[in-house]
Amino acid sequence: MTGELNEAVVAAQAGDEQAFRFLYRSLQPGLLRYLTALVGADAEDVASETWLQVSRDLPTFTGGEFRAWTVTIARNRAMDHLRRQRRRPSLPVPVQALSDLASDADTAERAGESIGTEAALALIGTLPPREAEAVLLRAVLGLDAETAGRVLGRRPGAVRTAAHRGLRRLAALMERRGEGGPATAADDATPPRPRDVRRRQTPHAEPADG
Amino acid sequence: MFFRRSARADRAALDRLLDAAATDHVPGAGTEPLARLLSAAAAPGRPDELAGEEAALAAFRAARATPARAPEPTRRRRPVTAGVAAWAAGVAVTATAGVAFAAVAIDRPDAPPPRPRPTTGASDPGETGGPGGTPGGGASTGASSGTPSGPPAPTTGPPAPTAGASATRPGSPSPRERAAELDGQCRAYLAMPPAQRERALDTPGFADLVTAAGGRAQVTDYCRDRVGEPEPPTTREPKSGPTPAASATP
Repeated sequence: MTGELNEAVVAAQAGDEQAFRFLYRSLQPGLLRYLTALVGADAEDVASETWLQVSRDLPTFTGGEFRAWTVTIARNRAMDHLRRQRRRPSLPVPVQALSDLASDADTAERAGESIGTEAALALIGTLPPREAEAVLLRAVLGLDAETAGRVLGRRPGAVRTAAHRGLRRLAALMERRGEGGPATAADDATPPRPRDVRRRQTPHAEPADG
Repeated sequence: MFFRRSARADRAALDRLLDAAATDHVPGAGTEPLARLLSAAAAPGRPDELAGEEAALAAFRAARATPARAPEPTRRRRPVTAGVAAWAAGVAVTATAGVAFAAVAIDRPDAPPPRPRPTTGASDPGETGGPGGTPGGGASTGASSGTPSGPPAPTTGPPAPTAGASATRPGSPSPRERAAELDGQCRAYLAMPPAQRERALDTPGFADLVTAAGGRAQVTDYCRDRVGEPEPPTTREPKSGPTPAASATP
């Protein structure tokens, strides 16, 4: 996969439009999902800016992880965007909507159905920003911890920890919902570690939120 | 699932989960809620996510065309070798401000990584802060320089050295380069779906163009005059491309 990407980068640098198209298609969905967590509904605009800059700077890209290079550009564009808007990274969607989507995810999971991408992302979006970013960079954009650390300007260990925390929080969230409490996105802000006892016993309670 | 094991095994398991999510879809996804969640989040792209494809391609063409500066929409396709140098020069010149210049000039070698030595997953035990033994994945982290260029850290105040920001600065870009740049922006602009154009004009990347056109309302006409009608028809629907979804995931 990475090899394919690298070949495409070289070809695109030589002017091959199809290769550039391939790069776009390979990266754009993940970028957009990541950007949505950062800037919400403006993600598409920021993604456009990102590709504009990628096009521009592609000739100067000298090698290494193209994915990480692009993600960093995207992140910088997002930060600029937020600065312009004078607001901080925040949840893109109202908590209620998140809550609904998230419980969709949970319901689906209990019913053995597949979880929708949107719902999954919404659930990840309920995490504290650092954790959400770490999870998205690792899982959705496929960066390893070292690379994600470079993108974020943080140490790999810190990224790893943030991602782990995020996952634990997600697991706890899903589990708690499974038990029937209509947990809102807001109130599981801090469990450092879920209690072991609360294994997922079969969801005996009736559907949490009807 | 995860919490019963030792903390270390737990972390390793979580790492595997994260690694697996983006690459092969689903390790044990049928059963494990977290795995299913992650694999859903990393599912292959949908067509609507690729709606900006033609605009991105237009930007790609424009970027390649710019260093040569040829107003006819028939040229393009020139050797990159020329492009690389000209581009670097063009960006550097148009970005003008000293800071921006510096950012461009030094972008590659030292970006934001905490420490500059060539990173390889294996080495630094100090940084993992914990269990060690969690492989980074060893994927091709190309030597030291993989780190992006562009505006280095998100902390730098002045906006990125995107060429567009230079609108009103006197004298630095030669008229020729400036014209080429405007052509490029026009093409990118015209290639966008109408809904996106409006918003694009709010971004600093197009500030230059708005100024040159004499106002937001004039941009479209101005651009048509400059570069003619958009080469690729402005596509609104994502499906107009050749089966995006199919080839989206390698």
